[in-house]
Amino acid sequence: MADKLLSVETVDVGYGHVGVIENLSLAVPKGAVVALVGRNGAGKSTLLRAVSGLLTPSKGRIVFDGRDIGRAKPHAIVDAGLLHVAEGRRLFRSQTVDDNLELGAYGTSLSKADFAGRVERVHELFPILKEKRHDLAGALSGGQQQMLAIAQAMMRDPKLLMLDEPSLGLSPLLVDQVFAAILSLRGSGTTILLVEQLVERALEIADAAYVMQNGRVIANGPAAEIAKSEALKTAYMAV
Amino acid sequence: MDIDTLVRGLVNGSLYALVAVSFNILYRPTNVFNFAQGELVMLGAMVFASASTLMGLPWIGALAVALVAVGILGLIEERIAVAPVLAKSQHNTGWVITTLAVSLIISNLVGRVWGPDPIMVEPPPLLSTQTLDWTGIQINSYQIALIIVTFVMVLAIERVYRTRHGKAVLATAEDREAALLRGIDPAKLSRWSFFLGGAFAGLTGVLAAPILYASTALGPSLLLKGFAAAAVGSIGNNRGALIAGYLIGLTEAIGASVLSPGYQEAVIFVLVLTLLLLKPHGLFGRPFTRTV
Repeated sequence: MADKLLSVETVDVGYGHVGVIENLSLAVPKGAVVALVGRNGAGKSTLLRAVSGLLTPSKGRIVFDGRDIGRAKPHAIVDAGLLHVAEGRRLFRSQTVDDNLELGAYGTSLSKADFAGRVERVHELFPILKEKRHDLAGALSGGQQQMLAIAQAMMRDPKLLMLDEPSLGLSPLLVDQVFAAILSLRGSGTTILLVEQLVERALEIADAAYVMQNGRVIANGPAAEIAKSEALKTAYMAV
Repeated sequence: MDIDTLVRGLVNGSLYALVAVSFNILYRPTNVFNFAQGELVMLGAMVFASASTLMGLPWIGALAVALVAVGILGLIEERIAVAPVLAKSQHNTGWVITTLAVSLIISNLVGRVWGPDPIMVEPPPLLSTQTLDWTGIQINSYQIALIIVTFVMVLAIERVYRTRHGKAVLATAEDREAALLRGIDPAKLSRWSFFLGGAFAGLTGVLAAPILYASTALGPSLLLKGFAAAAVGSIGNNRGALIAGYLIGLTEAIGASVLSPGYQEAVIFVLVLTLLLLKPHGLFGRPFTRTV
Protein backbone atom coordinates (compact mmCIF):
# COMPACT_ATOMS: atom_id res chain seq x y z
CA MET A 1 0.00 0.00 0.00
CA ALA A 2 1.05 3.56 -0.68
CA ASP A 3 1.95 6.06 2.05
CA LYS A 4 -0.68 6.64 4.66
CA LEU A 5 -2.02 10.19 4.62
CA LEU A 6 -4.33 9.68 7.59
CA SER A 7 -3.99 7.01 10.19
CA VAL A 8 -6.34 6.60 13.12
CA GLU A 9 -4.76 4.35 15.73
CA THR A 10 -6.74 2.52 18.46
CA VAL A 11 -8.90 5.53 19.21
CA ASP A 12 -11.70 5.91 21.78
CA VAL A 13 -14.12 8.83 21.29
CA GLY A 14 -17.26 9.83 23.12
CA TYR A 15 -19.44 12.68 24.32
CA GLY A 16 -18.74 13.25 28.01
CA HIS A 17 -18.80 9.85 29.66
CA VAL A 18 -20.77 8.21 26.88
CA GLY A 19 -18.38 6.24 24.70
CA VAL A 20 -19.30 6.04 21.02
CA ILE A 21 -16.16 4.72 19.35
CA GLU A 22 -13.98 2.05 20.88
CA ASN A 23 -10.48 1.02 19.92
CA LEU A 24 -10.93 2.03 16.30
CA SER A 25 -8.15 2.00 13.73
CA LEU A 26 -8.36 3.14 10.14
CA ALA A 27 -5.94 4.23 7.44
CA VAL A 28 -6.38 6.36 4.35
CA PRO A 29 -3.56 5.99 1.78
CA LYS A 30 -2.44 9.02 -0.20
CA GLY A 31 -4.47 9.48 -3.39
CA ALA A 32 -7.10 6.88 -2.47
CA VAL A 33 -10.85 7.11 -2.03
CA VAL A 34 -11.83 5.28 1.14
CA ALA A 35 -15.49 4.62 1.92
CA LEU A 36 -16.75 4.35 5.48
CA VAL A 37 -20.11 2.61 5.67
CA GLY A 38 -22.47 1.37 8.35
CA ARG A 39 -25.92 2.02 9.73
CA ASN A 40 -27.04 5.24 11.37
CA GLY A 41 -25.53 5.52 14.83
CA ALA A 42 -22.56 3.29 14.03
CA GLY A 43 -20.21 6.18 14.90
CA LYS A 44 -19.15 7.32 11.42
CA SER A 45 -19.86 11.03 11.94
CA THR A 46 -18.37 10.88 15.43
CA LEU A 47 -15.15 9.55 13.93
CA LEU A 48 -15.02 12.39 11.38
CA ARG A 49 -15.68 14.93 14.15
CA ALA A 50 -12.75 13.53 16.13
CA VAL A 51 -10.45 13.66 13.10
CA SER A 52 -11.34 17.30 12.39
CA GLY A 53 -10.78 18.30 16.01
CA LEU A 54 -14.39 19.02 17.05
CA LEU A 55 -14.08 16.14 19.52
CA THR A 56 -10.96 15.04 21.36
CA PRO A 57 -10.25 11.29 21.55
CA SER A 58 -9.85 9.97 25.09
CA LYS A 59 -7.36 7.35 23.89
CA GLY A 60 -5.22 6.60 20.84
CA ARG A 61 -3.55 8.71 18.16
CA ILE A 62 -4.70 10.40 14.98
CA VAL A 63 -1.80 11.01 12.61
CA PHE A 64 -2.25 13.20 9.55
CA ASP A 65 0.56 13.81 7.08
CA GLY A 66 3.09 12.64 9.63
CA ARG A 67 1.79 14.79 12.50
CA ASP A 68 -0.24 13.80 15.57
CA ILE A 69 -3.40 15.93 15.36
CA GLY A 70 -5.35 14.15 18.11
CA ARG A 71 -5.29 17.21 20.34
CA ALA A 72 -4.93 19.97 17.75
CA LYS A 73 -7.50 22.76 17.38
CA PRO A 74 -9.90 22.53 14.42
CA HIS A 75 -8.42 25.57 12.63
CA ALA A 76 -4.91 24.12 12.91
CA ILE A 77 -6.12 20.86 11.37
CA VAL A 78 -7.73 22.79 8.52
CA ASP A 79 -4.46 24.70 8.03
CA ALA A 80 -2.65 21.35 7.77
CA GLY A 81 -4.84 20.51 4.75
CA LEU A 82 -7.57 18.29 6.18
CA LEU A 83 -11.05 19.53 5.28
CA HIS A 84 -14.32 18.15 6.63
CA VAL A 85 -17.57 18.76 4.76
CA ALA A 86 -20.03 18.09 7.56
CA GLU A 87 -23.39 16.43 7.29
CA GLY A 88 -26.32 18.71 6.57
CA ARG A 89 -24.61 21.24 4.28
CA ARG A 90 -23.28 23.58 6.92
CA LEU A 91 -22.90 26.82 4.99
CA PHE A 92 -23.05 30.47 5.93
CA ARG A 93 -26.57 30.91 4.65
CA SER A 94 -26.93 34.63 5.20
CA GLN A 95 -23.86 35.32 3.04
CA THR A 96 -23.57 35.10 -0.74
CA VAL A 97 -22.16 32.18 -2.72
CA ASP A 98 -19.05 34.25 -3.52
CA ASP A 99 -18.58 35.18 0.15
CA ASN A 100 -18.84 31.51 1.11
CA LEU A 101 -16.11 30.67 -1.38
CA GLU A 102 -13.99 33.51 -0.06
CA LEU A 103 -14.43 32.20 3.50
CA GLY A 104 -13.29 28.81 2.22
CA ALA A 105 -9.89 30.45 1.75
CA TYR A 106 -9.96 32.26 5.13
CA GLY A 107 -6.56 32.42 6.75
CA THR A 108 -4.64 31.34 3.65
CA SER A 109 -2.09 33.69 2.14
CA LEU A 110 -3.16 33.11 -1.47
CA SER A 111 -2.27 35.82 -3.95
CA LYS A 112 -5.15 37.44 -5.82
CA ALA A 113 -4.30 35.44 -8.94
CA ASP A 114 -4.11 32.11 -7.09
CA PHE A 115 -7.39 32.85 -5.35
CA ALA A 116 -9.02 33.63 -8.69
CA GLY A 117 -7.58 30.39 -10.07
CA ARG A 118 -9.16 28.36 -7.28
CA VAL A 119 -12.50 30.07 -7.82
CA GLU A 120 -12.26 29.31 -11.52
CA ARG A 121 -11.54 25.66 -10.78
CA VAL A 122 -14.62 25.21 -8.58
CA HIS A 123 -16.72 27.12 -11.12
CA GLU A 124 -15.59 24.62 -13.78
CA LEU A 125 -16.58 21.74 -11.55
CA PHE A 126 -19.88 23.34 -10.46
CA PRO A 127 -20.96 25.90 -13.10
CA ILE A 128 -24.15 26.66 -11.15
CA LEU A 129 -22.03 28.39 -8.48
CA LYS A 130 -20.85 30.90 -11.06
CA GLU A 131 -24.37 31.55 -12.24
CA LYS A 132 -25.66 32.07 -8.68
CA ARG A 133 -22.57 33.80 -7.34
CA HIS A 134 -24.45 36.81 -5.92
CA ASP A 135 -27.32 34.77 -4.40
CA LEU A 136 -27.45 34.02 -0.70
CA ALA A 137 -26.28 30.50 0.11
CA GLY A 138 -29.53 29.97 2.04
CA ALA A 139 -31.50 30.57 -1.16
CA LEU A 140 -29.86 27.69 -3.05
CA SER A 141 -31.49 24.30 -3.50
CA GLY A 142 -30.25 21.36 -1.44
CA GLY A 143 -28.07 20.00 -4.23
CA GLN A 144 -26.57 23.39 -4.98
CA GLN A 145 -25.82 23.85 -1.28
CA GLN A 146 -24.02 20.52 -1.21
CA MET A 147 -21.94 21.59 -4.19
CA LEU A 148 -21.15 24.89 -2.51
CA ALA A 149 -20.12 23.05 0.66
CA ILE A 150 -17.70 20.85 -1.30
CA ALA A 151 -16.50 23.83 -3.35
CA GLN A 152 -15.86 25.81 -0.17
CA ALA A 153 -13.62 23.05 1.16
CA MET A 154 -11.83 22.83 -2.21
CA MET A 155 -10.83 26.50 -2.00
CA ARG A 156 -8.00 25.32 0.26
CA ASP A 157 -6.86 22.66 -2.18
CA PRO A 158 -7.09 20.01 0.58
CA LYS A 159 -4.76 17.05 0.91
CA LEU A 160 -7.62 15.08 2.42
CA LEU A 161 -11.31 15.77 1.97
CA MET A 162 -13.76 14.10 4.35
CA LEU A 163 -17.31 14.07 2.99
CA ASP A 164 -20.12 13.19 5.40
CA GLU A 165 -23.30 11.97 3.65
CA PRO A 166 -22.98 14.22 0.59
CA SER A 167 -26.05 12.63 -1.05
CA LEU A 168 -28.34 12.99 1.96
CA GLY A 169 -31.72 14.46 1.02
CA LEU A 170 -30.87 14.95 -2.65
CA SER A 171 -32.92 13.87 -5.68
CA PRO A 172 -31.42 11.04 -7.82
CA LEU A 173 -30.38 13.52 -10.50
CA LEU A 174 -28.47 15.64 -8.01
CA VAL A 175 -26.95 12.54 -6.43
CA ASP A 176 -25.48 11.77 -9.87
CA GLN A 177 -24.01 15.27 -10.02
CA VAL A 178 -22.46 14.98 -6.58
CA PHE A 179 -20.92 11.59 -7.41
CA ALA A 180 -19.63 12.98 -10.71
CA ALA A 181 -17.95 15.73 -8.70
CA ILE A 182 -16.37 13.19 -6.34
CA LEU A 183 -15.08 11.22 -9.36
CA SER A 184 -13.62 14.38 -10.82
CA LEU A 185 -11.87 15.16 -7.51
CA ARG A 186 -10.56 11.62 -7.43
CA GLY A 187 -9.27 12.11 -10.97
CA SER A 188 -7.37 15.22 -9.91
CA GLY A 189 -5.64 13.25 -7.15
CA THR A 190 -7.47 14.48 -4.05
CA THR A 191 -7.54 11.91 -1.25
CA ILE A 192 -11.10 11.34 -0.03
CA LEU A 193 -12.68 9.74 3.02
CA LEU A 194 -16.34 9.25 2.13
CA VAL A 195 -19.16 8.50 4.56
CA GLU A 196 -22.20 7.58 2.51
CA GLN A 197 -25.56 5.93 3.01
CA LEU A 198 -25.78 4.92 -0.67
CA VAL A 199 -23.46 2.01 0.03
CA GLU A 200 -23.36 0.45 -3.44
CA ARG A 201 -22.54 3.71 -5.15
CA ALA A 202 -19.93 4.57 -2.56
CA LEU A 203 -18.23 1.20 -2.98
CA GLU A 204 -18.28 1.59 -6.78
CA ILE A 205 -16.08 4.68 -6.68
CA ALA A 206 -13.97 3.74 -3.63
CA ASP A 207 -10.64 1.93 -3.60
CA ALA A 208 -10.96 0.62 -0.06
CA ALA A 209 -13.76 0.42 2.47
CA TYR A 210 -14.36 0.11 6.19
CA VAL A 211 -17.57 -1.27 7.67
CA MET A 212 -18.58 0.10 11.06
CA GLN A 213 -21.03 -1.28 13.58
CA ASN A 214 -21.63 -0.07 17.15
CA GLY A 215 -18.51 2.06 17.23
CA ARG A 216 -16.14 -0.59 15.90
CA VAL A 217 -14.73 -1.58 12.54
CA ILE A 218 -16.07 -5.04 11.72
CA ALA A 219 -14.48 -5.42 8.28
CA ASN A 220 -12.11 -3.63 5.95
CA GLY A 221 -10.43 -4.28 2.62
CA PRO A 222 -10.63 -3.46 -1.09
CA ALA A 223 -14.01 -1.94 -1.92
CA ALA A 224 -14.93 -4.66 -4.45
CA GLU A 225 -14.41 -7.39 -1.84
CA ILE A 226 -16.30 -5.52 0.86
CA ALA A 227 -19.23 -5.09 -1.55
CA LYS A 228 -19.62 -8.87 -1.66
CA SER A 229 -18.79 -9.55 1.99
CA GLU A 230 -20.96 -11.06 4.70
CA ALA A 231 -19.86 -8.33 7.12
CA LEU A 232 -21.61 -5.69 5.04
CA LYS A 233 -24.87 -7.62 5.17
CA THR A 234 -24.47 -8.14 8.92
CA ALA A 235 -23.84 -4.44 9.47
CA TYR A 236 -27.05 -3.46 7.72
CA MET A 237 -29.27 -6.35 8.80
CA ALA A 238 -28.36 -6.85 12.45
CA VAL A 239 -30.38 -5.04 15.08
CA MET B 1 -41.97 71.46 21.30
CA ASP B 2 -39.40 73.32 19.25
CA ILE B 3 -36.52 72.63 16.93
CA ASP B 4 -34.03 72.72 19.84
CA THR B 5 -35.72 69.65 21.26
CA LEU B 6 -34.96 67.82 18.03
CA VAL B 7 -31.31 68.89 18.16
CA ARG B 8 -30.99 67.58 21.71
CA GLY B 9 -32.67 64.34 20.66
CA LEU B 10 -30.33 63.87 17.70
CA VAL B 11 -27.22 64.59 19.76
CA ASN B 12 -28.11 62.16 22.54
CA GLY B 13 -29.42 59.67 19.99
CA SER B 14 -26.00 59.71 18.28
CA LEU B 15 -24.35 58.67 21.54
CA TYR B 16 -26.90 55.90 22.16
CA ALA B 17 -26.37 54.61 18.63
CA LEU B 18 -22.58 54.54 19.11
CA VAL B 19 -22.90 52.62 22.39
CA ALA B 20 -25.30 50.18 20.69
CA VAL B 21 -22.81 49.61 17.84
CA SER B 22 -20.03 48.93 20.34
CA PHE B 23 -22.33 46.33 21.99
CA ASN B 24 -22.85 44.70 18.60
CA ILE B 25 -19.13 44.56 17.81
CA LEU B 26 -18.56 42.37 20.87
CA TYR B 27 -21.77 40.42 20.51
CA ARG B 28 -21.31 39.19 16.96
CA PRO B 29 -18.53 36.63 17.37
CA THR B 30 -19.21 35.73 21.03
CA ASN B 31 -22.97 36.05 21.72
CA VAL B 32 -21.93 37.93 24.86
CA PHE B 33 -23.45 41.21 26.07
CA ASN B 34 -20.74 43.12 27.79
CA PHE B 35 -22.33 44.70 30.87
CA ALA B 36 -19.12 46.69 31.40
CA GLN B 37 -19.65 48.51 28.10
CA GLY B 38 -20.98 51.67 29.80
CA GLU B 39 -17.92 51.79 32.05
CA LEU B 40 -15.62 51.40 29.05
CA VAL B 41 -17.31 54.45 27.52
CA MET B 42 -16.90 56.34 30.79
CA LEU B 43 -13.25 55.32 31.04
CA GLY B 44 -12.64 56.58 27.51
CA ALA B 45 -13.92 60.02 28.61
CA MET B 46 -11.83 60.00 31.82
CA VAL B 47 -8.58 58.91 30.17
CA PHE B 48 -9.11 61.49 27.45
CA ALA B 49 -9.84 64.22 30.00
CA SER B 50 -6.65 63.44 31.90
CA ALA B 51 -4.51 63.09 28.80
CA SER B 52 -5.67 66.39 27.37
CA THR B 53 -6.05 68.60 30.46
CA LEU B 54 -3.45 67.16 32.87
CA MET B 55 -0.81 65.86 30.44
CA GLY B 56 -1.51 68.62 27.93
CA LEU B 57 -1.60 66.33 24.90
CA PRO B 58 -3.16 67.75 21.75
CA TRP B 59 -6.72 66.56 20.99
CA ILE B 60 -5.71 63.87 18.50
CA GLY B 61 -2.94 62.54 20.78
CA ALA B 62 -5.27 62.30 23.77
CA LEU B 63 -7.82 60.53 21.54
CA ALA B 64 -5.21 57.95 20.52
CA VAL B 65 -4.23 57.36 24.17
CA ALA B 66 -7.90 56.88 25.15
CA LEU B 67 -8.65 54.47 22.28
CA VAL B 68 -5.60 52.29 22.87
CA ALA B 69 -6.06 52.26 26.66
CA VAL B 70 -9.74 51.29 26.54
CA GLY B 71 -9.13 48.82 23.69
CA ILE B 72 -6.49 47.04 25.75
CA LEU B 73 -8.79 47.01 28.75
CA GLY B 74 -11.48 45.39 26.58
CA LEU B 75 -8.95 42.77 25.54
CA ILE B 76 -7.98 42.12 29.18
CA GLU B 77 -11.65 41.79 30.07
CA GLU B 78 -12.08 39.19 27.31
CA ARG B 79 -9.08 37.21 28.56
CA ILE B 80 -10.06 37.11 32.25
CA ALA B 81 -13.85 37.50 32.33
CA VAL B 82 -15.21 36.08 29.07
CA ALA B 83 -12.89 33.53 27.43
CA PRO B 84 -12.56 31.31 30.55
CA VAL B 85 -16.36 31.23 30.93
CA LEU B 86 -16.96 30.31 27.29
CA ALA B 87 -14.12 27.77 27.33
CA LYS B 88 -16.19 25.58 29.67
CA SER B 89 -19.21 25.63 27.40
CA GLN B 90 -20.25 27.87 24.54
CA HIS B 91 -23.71 28.12 26.13
CA ASN B 92 -22.44 29.04 29.58
CA THR B 93 -24.02 32.34 30.66
CA GLY B 94 -21.63 33.03 33.53
CA TRP B 95 -20.44 36.09 31.59
CA VAL B 96 -23.52 37.95 32.87
CA ILE B 97 -21.92 37.99 36.31
CA THR B 98 -18.27 38.30 35.24
CA THR B 99 -18.83 41.29 32.94
CA LEU B 100 -20.99 42.94 35.61
CA ALA B 101 -18.12 42.40 38.05
CA VAL B 102 -15.71 44.07 35.62
CA SER B 103 -18.15 46.98 35.38
CA LEU B 104 -18.23 47.43 39.17
CA ILE B 105 -14.45 47.16 39.45
CA ILE B 106 -13.85 49.82 36.79
CA SER B 107 -16.49 52.11 38.27
CA ASN B 108 -14.99 51.85 41.77
CA LEU B 109 -11.41 52.27 40.64
CA VAL B 110 -12.23 55.27 38.48
CA GLY B 111 -14.14 56.82 41.40
CA ARG B 112 -11.04 56.45 43.58
CA VAL B 113 -8.51 57.66 41.04
CA TRP B 114 -10.42 60.55 39.48
CA GLY B 115 -12.83 61.47 42.29
CA PRO B 116 -16.54 62.21 41.98
CA ASP B 117 -16.40 65.64 40.34
CA PRO B 118 -17.20 65.90 36.64
CA ILE B 119 -14.29 67.12 34.52
CA MET B 120 -14.95 69.65 31.81
CA VAL B 121 -13.59 68.62 28.43
CA GLU B 122 -12.92 70.95 25.54
CA PRO B 123 -14.09 70.02 22.04
CA PRO B 124 -11.42 69.49 19.37
CA PRO B 125 -9.85 72.54 17.69
CA LEU B 126 -12.00 74.39 15.13
CA LEU B 127 -15.18 73.13 16.84
CA SER B 128 -16.99 74.79 19.66
CA THR B 129 -19.76 74.11 22.14
CA GLN B 130 -20.74 77.79 21.94
CA THR B 131 -24.28 77.78 20.66
CA LEU B 132 -24.90 79.57 17.39
CA ASP B 133 -28.23 80.92 16.43
CA TRP B 134 -28.45 79.54 12.93
CA THR B 135 -31.69 80.55 11.20
CA GLY B 136 -33.49 80.28 14.50
CA ILE B 137 -32.08 76.86 15.44
CA GLN B 138 -29.93 76.73 18.54
CA ILE B 139 -27.10 74.42 17.58
CA ASN B 140 -23.33 74.42 17.95
CA SER B 141 -20.67 73.24 15.59
CA TYR B 142 -19.65 70.39 17.89
CA GLN B 143 -23.17 68.96 17.85
CA ILE B 144 -23.26 69.02 14.05
CA ALA B 145 -19.86 67.32 13.89
CA LEU B 146 -20.96 64.66 16.39
CA ILE B 147 -23.99 63.69 14.29
CA ILE B 148 -21.88 63.49 11.13
CA VAL B 149 -19.13 61.48 12.87
CA THR B 150 -21.73 59.02 14.15
CA PHE B 151 -22.91 58.23 10.62
CA VAL B 152 -19.36 57.98 9.33
CA MET B 153 -18.33 55.63 12.17
CA VAL B 154 -21.31 53.31 11.73
CA LEU B 155 -20.68 53.10 7.98
CA ALA B 156 -16.96 52.51 8.64
CA ILE B 157 -17.76 49.63 11.00
CA GLU B 158 -20.11 48.14 8.41
CA ARG B 159 -17.20 48.31 5.93
CA VAL B 160 -15.10 46.27 8.36
CA TYR B 161 -17.68 43.46 8.07
CA ARG B 162 -17.16 43.42 4.29
CA THR B 163 -13.51 42.43 4.70
CA ARG B 164 -12.52 38.75 4.89
CA HIS B 165 -12.02 38.92 8.66
CA GLY B 166 -15.37 40.68 9.02
CA LYS B 167 -17.12 38.00 6.98
CA ALA B 168 -15.48 35.41 9.21
CA VAL B 169 -17.00 37.14 12.26
CA LEU B 170 -20.45 36.99 10.66
CA ALA B 171 -19.86 33.35 9.73
CA THR B 172 -18.91 32.52 13.32
CA ALA B 173 -22.05 34.27 14.59
CA GLU B 174 -24.18 32.25 12.21
CA ASP B 175 -22.71 28.76 12.63
CA ARG B 176 -19.77 28.46 14.97
CA GLU B 177 -19.06 24.82 14.20
CA ALA B 178 -19.14 25.34 10.43
CA ALA B 179 -16.72 28.23 10.95
CA LEU B 180 -14.36 25.97 12.91
CA LEU B 181 -14.40 23.46 10.05
CA ARG B 182 -13.36 26.18 7.59
CA GLY B 183 -10.25 27.16 9.49
CA ILE B 184 -11.73 30.14 11.33
CA ASP B 185 -10.43 30.54 14.88
CA PRO B 186 -13.28 32.09 16.92
CA ALA B 187 -11.01 32.71 19.91
CA LYS B 188 -8.85 35.04 17.82
CA LEU B 189 -11.87 36.87 16.37
CA SER B 190 -13.26 37.25 19.89
CA ARG B 191 -10.01 38.86 21.11
CA TRP B 192 -9.94 41.28 18.18
CA SER B 193 -13.60 42.13 18.62
CA PHE B 194 -13.13 42.97 22.29
CA PHE B 195 -10.19 45.20 21.41
CA LEU B 196 -12.08 46.93 18.62
CA GLY B 197 -15.32 47.14 20.63
CA GLY B 198 -13.39 48.55 23.59
CA ALA B 199 -11.69 51.17 21.42
CA PHE B 200 -15.06 52.06 19.88
CA ALA B 201 -16.54 52.48 23.37
CA GLY B 202 -13.56 54.67 24.27
CA LEU B 203 -14.21 56.80 21.18
CA THR B 204 -17.85 57.16 22.22
CA GLY B 205 -16.71 58.38 25.62
CA VAL B 206 -14.34 60.94 24.06
CA LEU B 207 -17.14 62.22 21.81
CA ALA B 208 -19.63 62.39 24.71
CA ALA B 209 -17.30 64.21 27.09
CA PRO B 210 -17.63 67.81 25.79
CA ILE B 211 -21.43 67.49 26.02
CA LEU B 212 -22.03 65.40 29.14
CA TYR B 213 -18.73 66.05 31.01
CA ALA B 214 -16.38 63.25 32.02
CA SER B 215 -17.61 61.64 35.23
CA THR B 216 -18.40 58.25 36.72
CA ALA B 217 -22.10 58.98 36.16
CA LEU B 218 -21.55 58.64 32.42
CA GLY B 219 -21.41 54.82 32.39
CA PRO B 220 -24.73 53.60 33.79
CA SER B 221 -26.99 55.96 31.81
CA LEU B 222 -25.28 55.31 28.47
CA LEU B 223 -25.18 51.56 29.15
CA LEU B 224 -28.92 51.34 29.66
CA LYS B 225 -29.98 53.52 26.72
CA GLY B 226 -27.30 52.09 24.44
CA PHE B 227 -28.48 48.60 25.28
CA ALA B 228 -32.07 49.66 24.60
CA ALA B 229 -30.98 50.98 21.19
CA ALA B 230 -29.17 47.72 20.39
CA ALA B 231 -32.26 45.66 21.37
CA VAL B 232 -34.77 47.83 19.50
CA GLY B 233 -32.50 47.94 16.43
CA SER B 234 -32.14 44.12 16.56
CA ILE B 235 -29.03 42.81 18.28
CA GLY B 236 -26.10 42.57 15.89
CA ASN B 237 -27.63 44.96 13.34
CA ASN B 238 -25.61 48.19 13.19
CA ARG B 239 -27.90 50.11 10.87
CA GLY B 240 -30.78 49.12 13.12
CA ALA B 241 -28.79 50.40 16.09
CA LEU B 242 -28.28 53.74 14.33
CA ILE B 243 -31.98 54.21 13.65
CA ALA B 244 -33.03 52.95 17.08
CA GLY B 245 -30.50 55.26 18.76
CA TYR B 246 -32.12 58.29 17.14
CA LEU B 247 -35.59 56.95 17.88
CA ILE B 248 -34.75 56.70 21.57
CA GLY B 249 -32.89 60.03 21.67
CA LEU B 250 -35.77 61.87 20.01
CA THR B 251 -38.41 60.17 22.17
CA GLU B 252 -36.47 61.14 25.26
CA ALA B 253 -36.14 64.78 24.20
CA ILE B 254 -39.75 65.12 23.08
CA GLY B 255 -41.02 63.36 26.21
CA ALA B 256 -39.02 65.71 28.39
CA SER B 257 -40.31 68.80 26.61
CA VAL B 258 -43.97 67.75 26.24
CA LEU B 259 -44.44 66.08 29.64
CA SER B 260 -41.70 66.99 32.06
CA PRO B 261 -37.99 66.16 32.30
CA GLY B 262 -38.86 63.95 35.27
CA TYR B 263 -40.67 61.55 32.97
CA GLN B 264 -38.07 61.28 30.22
CA GLU B 265 -36.66 57.96 31.39
CA ALA B 266 -40.13 56.50 31.87
CA VAL B 267 -41.15 57.58 28.36
CA ILE B 268 -38.13 55.83 26.82
CA PHE B 269 -38.68 52.57 28.59
CA VAL B 270 -42.41 52.53 27.86
CA LEU B 271 -41.45 52.93 24.19
CA VAL B 272 -38.77 50.23 24.37
CA LEU B 273 -41.00 47.75 26.18
CA THR B 274 -43.88 48.34 23.77
CA LEU B 275 -41.65 47.90 20.71
CA LEU B 276 -40.06 44.74 22.09
CA LEU B 277 -43.46 43.27 23.00
CA LEU B 278 -44.64 43.83 19.44
CA LYS B 279 -41.35 42.85 17.80
CA PRO B 280 -39.31 40.70 20.21
CA HIS B 281 -36.31 40.56 17.86
CA GLY B 282 -36.27 44.32 17.34
CA LEU B 283 -37.46 46.43 14.45
CA PHE B 284 -35.10 44.89 11.92
CA GLY B 285 -35.76 41.19 12.38
CA ARG B 286 -33.52 38.49 13.67
CA PRO B 287 -29.85 39.27 13.24
CA PHE B 288 -29.41 36.12 11.18
CA THR B 289 -32.32 34.48 9.47
CA ARG B 290 -31.93 30.83 8.80
CA THR B 291 -33.65 29.11 5.95
CA VAL B 292 -33.63 25.35 6.06
